[in-house]
Amino acid sequence: MLTVSLNEVYSETYKALRSVGIEWGLAKDCANLSKWLVNHDYYFLGSVLKTADLYKEKKLSTSIKENNLNKPLTSALMGLLLVEYVSANKILWKGYLHNPKFLLASMGLIAQEQNISLVLKNSKNSIIAYTNNQKLYVDTKIFNNLTGYFFLETYEFNNNCNPLSLVQNQRLEVSKINKKCWDRLSSMAFETYVPESEASKSGAGY
Amino acid sequence: MKQNYKKNQQINLYPMRQPSQVMKLERLGSFHQTRLSFTRQLINELKSNKTQFEISKWDIDNNGFGNAVIKTIFNNSIFSLVVFCHSINDEERSDRVIAEKWDMTFSLFKGVPSNIELDKMSKNLKIQELGRHLSKQLTLSRANKSVRIFRKVLDALSNGKQPSKLDINNIGYLVRTTAVYGNGKFGIGDFSFDSSKSVLNKPFQAEMLTVYLIRYFSIELINFLAEKKGGKKSVKLSNKISRHLGVGNATGLGMAPFLINHQELIHKWINTRETAISRVLSIKSINKNTQKQIINYIEQGYRYTSQWNVDDLTQANRIKNLNLDLKNIINCNELLNLLNKNYPLKSLNDYFKNKICIETEEILHSIFIEPFPDIIDDLTNQMGSVEKKSVVVGYNVKEIIEIIKENYKWALSIDVNSSDENYFFWYTSQAKLEPRIGVTNKDDGYEKQLPFDISHQVQKALKILIKLPKKMTASEAMINHPEIRNIVRRIIINKTSPYSEIQDNLVGKQMRPIDLLRCKLSFFGASKYDPKSDLWTRITLFQGAPLPHQLQEENSCDWLFPYLSDA
Repeated sequence: MLTVSLNEVYSETYKALRSVGIEWGLAKDCANLSKWLVNHDYYFLGSVLKTADLYKEKKLSTSIKENNLNKPLTSALMGLLLVEYVSANKILWKGYLHNPKFLLASMGLIAQEQNISLVLKNSKNSIIAYTNNQKLYVDTKIFNNLTGYFFLETYEFNNNCNPLSLVQNQRLEVSKINKKCWDRLSSMAFETYVPESEASKSGAGY
Repeated sequence: MKQNYKKNQQINLYPMRQPSQVMKLERLGSFHQTRLSFTRQLINELKSNKTQFEISKWDIDNNGFGNAVIKTIFNNSIFSLVVFCHSINDEERSDRVIAEKWDMTFSLFKGVPSNIELDKMSKNLKIQELGRHLSKQLTLSRANKSVRIFRKVLDALSNGKQPSKLDINNIGYLVRTTAVYGNGKFGIGDFSFDSSKSVLNKPFQAEMLTVYLIRYFSIELINFLAEKKGGKKSVKLSNKISRHLGVGNATGLGMAPFLINHQELIHKWINTRETAISRVLSIKSINKNTQKQIINYIEQGYRYTSQWNVDDLTQANRIKNLNLDLKNIINCNELLNLLNKNYPLKSLNDYFKNKICIETEEILHSIFIEPFPDIIDDLTNQMGSVEKKSVVVGYNVKEIIEIIKENYKWALSIDVNSSDENYFFWYTSQAKLEPRIGVTNKDDGYEKQLPFDISHQVQKALKILIKLPKKMTASEAMINHPEIRNIVRRIIINKTSPYSEIQDNLVGKQMRPIDLLRCKLSFFGASKYDPKSDLWTRITLFQGAPLPHQLQEENSCDWLFPYLSDA
């Protein structure tokens, strides 16, 4: 087990995702969502590694229209874009999502930063999570992180909404990171670096 | 008589300079320290909080090796500088960030470290980036003795003499740091973790406190070693010389990407500086005492630039012109008349605008700001930023195109197909993960370049955007074209943070990374920039700053231009 800082979570995730060719903007989003998950006491590392693997194997969709159970939309990479899109267009989005906890993180972030009210429902039309007054609430009894069919839309909060559990910002340092997984993330990040050369020796001190 | 400028502050502020004027590399690379700089902020805070300093552990042997802890009690919070001094061979001493051994290693620790924590640090601090560090550590740093001066000063003091002032001024420090890491690097604590509660919640205050304590340690160390070597005949460094000693730093490309990656923060820094300039240019009149202060600072600036000696020909020439400009201003018959006019600083500014170089324009801004703490110092609270992770919704394609056409004219004017405008690329080197620049089609690593070709990205995005329906939301455009997410995020930030973008091609042949470094270092409060190439510079921090025992003296915070008489 290893203890790493939030800054390390962000920077290693960002670079590791770049190593498999993920766009800069999406890699950055995922790094920020990973930090959010850590701060709220959710695991992130295995999911990021899995996302990178599936992305490489083209088993994840980055299209909000073309996704299915076998090729779901990756919420680790597209979650933040999706909540922004639904918020901006005020539409109902429905589709298959991989790793929906990243969508929770996205909802939490946009609620906190832009005070937008969103509701997420599962295929049975049960409310899994909603945001209200800059906070994220989740039904911890029915939420799981499995791939599934979801509905996401903006809504007007009223007091009839079932009260769900508030997801507290735990302000955690990362602990209990699996060293083997972290080493893998770091080695992926390392692939984005360039071997030392005469050009690279031209920095401070020469 | 002290004039209350806060009450006299103008409601109609003098217009701030446009980003198109300020955010050019040549101008950013001409900035000097101001009273808003982070070293200056720290000294003001240390003074106002009546910070106490205590050497709580001094386990240093007669050769200067061992461990020490300096404790500060700062606004009811305790921070400790943990120091380890190591024995290294002369040939192992390098300014390079990739060095693996140092004379001294340091960490600023939150609280007082236990023996177990000290033991862990003794193993990890000496290997710096290769170690795993504790979350109670706020910074991580290392330094080497200046081989040019350390022994000379030690010999002089141990023989009962003060060192040569000329040497002291030429070098300016006993030790030189090669990195000061903060904010979660290598396992140390994240600043964001509880910044709202921390007394070090303004930007770079933990790093600056580290450097200030390193400076204090270096002076204590040389006095200690002189006594051990010379016994009764030894003397301590005089207060005057001690105060003129800062901490050296060798700064390279590692610092440059920060300005590009932290748009909102950079906007805050520059916006604050420009607001300060605007505020002082809007002052309607100043009394005789303030007039005298302004003239005094110009004279100090002249003396400071007379003692600013560098080998780099470009910078030496700039210093020469700056020095000459300041001399001409001092000797100008109109100077007092201008200061007696309505809007005196604006008058002075306008009068000399086309007669002086950019370095002088910017040093005058530092001078203008200096005498007005009442109307300037509140701005230091606006220099931090919590950067948004989501992209603000509500923009449509038409609006994004309008922002590009209005705010990114500079980017659209660049011929992105020209080889000169694709001359460099930025990348991260495997060697200690430092950012570097390579030459396109010559150096390896182009395919792993960092996204600093902002002008190129803007032009690519524009080509995509103009084909989309004007009313389509920017969010929809990005979700359909994730490849423009990165640049559209920047464009939207720039709409509300107009000083967030450097308005030059960062991969063009004309780009000098030293300008990026100089800009950031001016906000740190560096002095005596001493470029060693276009890629790195030596600087001095805290030169002229009060020592801990001088903090409560009158005018202790008045150290804009370090100067040592008779040097």
